[in-house]
Amino acid sequence: MSQERESTTRRQSAADRPVIGVLGGGSWGTGIAHLLAANGNEVLLWMRDGDVAASINEKRINPRYLPNLEIARGVRATLDLEEVCGGAHLLYGVVPSQSFRSVMRDMGPFLRADHFLISASKGFEIETFRRMTEIIREETCVRRIGVLSGPNISREILEGQPAATVIASRYREVVDAGIASLHSPRFRVYSGTDVVGVEIAAALKNVVAICSGMMDGMGFGDNTRALLITRGLAEIARLGAVLGADPLTFSGLAGVGDLIVTCTSPHSRNFRVGRLVATGSTLEAAVARLGAVAEGVSTTRAVMRHARALGMDLPVTEGVHRVLFAGENPQMVLDDLMGRSVRDDIDSILRRRRE
Amino acid sequence: MRTEHKEQVLSEVIGRIVERVVRGANHPLGPIPAYTPSMAQSGGGAPAAGARRDSDAEQAELVLLDTLYHERQRLERDPGAPSARRDRVFWEEISRALPRHAEAERLELTRRIVAHFAGEIIGHFSPTVYQLTTRVVPPALSLLLHALSPRRLFSSFPELQDLTSRLVIRGESEQLRGLRARGTVVLAPTHLSNLDSLAVGWALHFLGLPPFTYGAGLNLFINPLTSFFMHHLGAYTVDRKKTAPLYKESLKEYATVTMELGYDNLFFPGGTRSRSGAVERHLKLGLLGAGLRAYINNLKRGKDRPNIYVVPCTLNYQLVLEAETLIADYLAETGKSRFVILDDEFSQPQRIAEFLRNIMGLDSTIYLVVSRALDPFGNRVDDEGRSLDPAGRPIDIRRYVSINGSPEHFPARDEEYTRELGREVAAAFARDNLLMSTHLVAFCVFRMLVADNPGVDLFRLLRTGGTTESFSMYQVEEAMIRVLDAVRQLARAGAVRCDERLAKSGAEQLISNALRYFGTYHRRPVLERRGDRLYAVDRNLLYYYHNRATGYGLEASAATGVLAGSAKERS
Repeated sequence: MSQERESTTRRQSAADRPVIGVLGGGSWGTGIAHLLAANGNEVLLWMRDGDVAASINEKRINPRYLPNLEIARGVRATLDLEEVCGGAHLLYGVVPSQSFRSVMRDMGPFLRADHFLISASKGFEIETFRRMTEIIREETCVRRIGVLSGPNISREILEGQPAATVIASRYREVVDAGIASLHSPRFRVYSGTDVVGVEIAAALKNVVAICSGMMDGMGFGDNTRALLITRGLAEIARLGAVLGADPLTFSGLAGVGDLIVTCTSPHSRNFRVGRLVATGSTLEAAVARLGAVAEGVSTTRAVMRHARALGMDLPVTEGVHRVLFAGENPQMVLDDLMGRSVRDDIDSILRRRRE
Repeated sequence: MRTEHKEQVLSEVIGRIVERVVRGANHPLGPIPAYTPSMAQSGGGAPAAGARRDSDAEQAELVLLDTLYHERQRLERDPGAPSARRDRVFWEEISRALPRHAEAERLELTRRIVAHFAGEIIGHFSPTVYQLTTRVVPPALSLLLHALSPRRLFSSFPELQDLTSRLVIRGESEQLRGLRARGTVVLAPTHLSNLDSLAVGWALHFLGLPPFTYGAGLNLFINPLTSFFMHHLGAYTVDRKKTAPLYKESLKEYATVTMELGYDNLFFPGGTRSRSGAVERHLKLGLLGAGLRAYINNLKRGKDRPNIYVVPCTLNYQLVLEAETLIADYLAETGKSRFVILDDEFSQPQRIAEFLRNIMGLDSTIYLVVSRALDPFGNRVDDEGRSLDPAGRPIDIRRYVSINGSPEHFPARDEEYTRELGREVAAAFARDNLLMSTHLVAFCVFRMLVADNPGVDLFRLLRTGGTTESFSMYQVEEAMIRVLDAVRQLARAGAVRCDERLAKSGAEQLISNALRYFGTYHRRPVLERRGDRLYAVDRNLLYYYHNRATGYGLEASAATGVLAGSAKERS
């Protein structure tokens, strides 16, 4: 069985090799394109901004998001979705979650049944609470869908520091194609099948990171952060279990791994937004100062909008929501969080799931 | 099925399965699974669980041993099974030959075993079964029997043309008819009753379509009322008690081969009659996956019209013939539920006669709703037979299965495609489920019962009725008005269907209509009106009919009704 599978995918990945498409010229999109090209792939990088594209093609620089990185030769930027879809078989989607659907719609006419599409976007669509892979399924003919997520601060990866990520898909050949394209001695790519779990972990950790930034801004230290990370993880895992994820996914790289880095790294955008807000900045000012999308802000809105329908109690997300959107004082929200009644450290939902 | 095809199908199935056994992991469809947990635990006669056998020859031997093991277990559990004596003799011979056979004889042994299964699937007459079938059938029931062969029915009972008006076909029957010319159709109905296959057969006749190849449970072949006719239709035998993977694969291959030959197939993807009465949400994917397998084989052979179309459809009854047995089985302790029921209402001629009398007398209608067709990947299909993406653009679906430009099987991938198809079929079932007065009235009353007894678990509630003895008609009507409103809204949005009566009549009328049904056929009335109170006489059946309306978020509407109702009553 595995022999058969391997030989099939080897043949398949050989066909994929020539060109890989990356959708989205932000910092992570550019970063993934660079890593793919550094691995010996031809990469077509789609973006909307013609100036950035020209700069990438002429100067090998993305001046807006990664001014210090010399982008590998194999990356070619383009504004033409048809060109990307026509040329590439394996596609990575790295556009912000709130514009993900419109990009999928625009791509629809050019997508074929043999495309593989891996989402590296982290978040939910606010209106519908849909995950990115669900949007792909709803808008396109693509069936072989995957998700990529992990503790991936793009700046560090692009410096060549050792790191790892997870690609999960129900289709093994998608995972294999992803690994073949992206795995390198400096960047390990692990495999998984729990698409729902990886996507939920990827989206929710940004909310916890905003909270972590707030606590940092309030001057709290490592005990507080460990408390937040652990209880934040429990909250993510509870929501995940209700939405159909495997709770064990949250103990992996895409779960606790990513959560730790986003909650502790000063490079993390969501962490920075939280810290700015806690030190007196308005949300608008904080986001403007960042100059990039902090996915945690829209994820907070998406989750809170649907939490009631799910019948779930999500204290961290709710606290972040109160500070960001109700203008409440972070200190008071924190007092509320600390004053909640205590319950079991390990939630019974997760225990039942495991048995 | 044409006789020459029968031979061809038989040899094709045997050839393919034998090849899979022999080639094992090197076969494009992968090996036939051989280890099972039950084997590892009991160990009796089976190889040690931890032992890894790598060579193809050993794997092939393992499949045979595993099959022998499953069959022996089955015969031990169910000594009175049809053809048990014959089977016992057969497996005794195999078990004597198996440990001592030379390598060269294995192929012959494999062929014998596969031929044994395939022959049974295709249909054999065991003398005992045949004796049962030839017993004299009560004349009143001939109309039911003739339902299997509508042409014969009408020639011998012209007055029964009337009964045809009892079966109403809704939905995409034109598409179904058209697609038959463009490829091979797999009809996938919901399953409530053994009458379903008869209703579908009848419906196909009205649509001017020939009978579909149909996997009928072994029980239908044993049932004296149906077996004779089953054998004369495109029916093949499915014995759900046979658990050996080799048997299941033979079954799936049979369906695959018939589809490749262009025979339209009929599967009940729920696998068995819905015990709870609810619309199937989790489907058995095995046979559904045969469609994809046949499609890929068609492509590989460059067949002219390779497409396979999966057409979900729902069958909807005011009352269900076997409701009492089915819900009792559902409520039986977990694990004790019987997967195959032989002694239900369907085996009692009087019950069928009563049921049919009720259908005639009460002006009842059986609705068959044909859903839009899907391809083997779960995409919508247009009337020209083209697969469409969500925005309605045609998809070249060959690319789903092409590896380097040529169509290939890839079991792990194909299983996922089939899972997506299953999800779409289940979604179609929910959308084209057609609700009637009995379902909604049962739904309202049962939700009121639940709301009146907070914290009481389902089983206790059904057994004792909780603290509620009866409901005021006023309360029920209030709840009904709300639920009706919600259902009509859902129906307008295409999320469910209603019958004419539900779409037009008021709550009061609908309740009295449901009460008429509930009071006639079942041994005990489901609900009974005394004065202005409503009594739940058979709570199990109440729950059963209620289940048909679950899954639409109607609970909130019904519950609000109760609170408002009881508050008003108190004040």
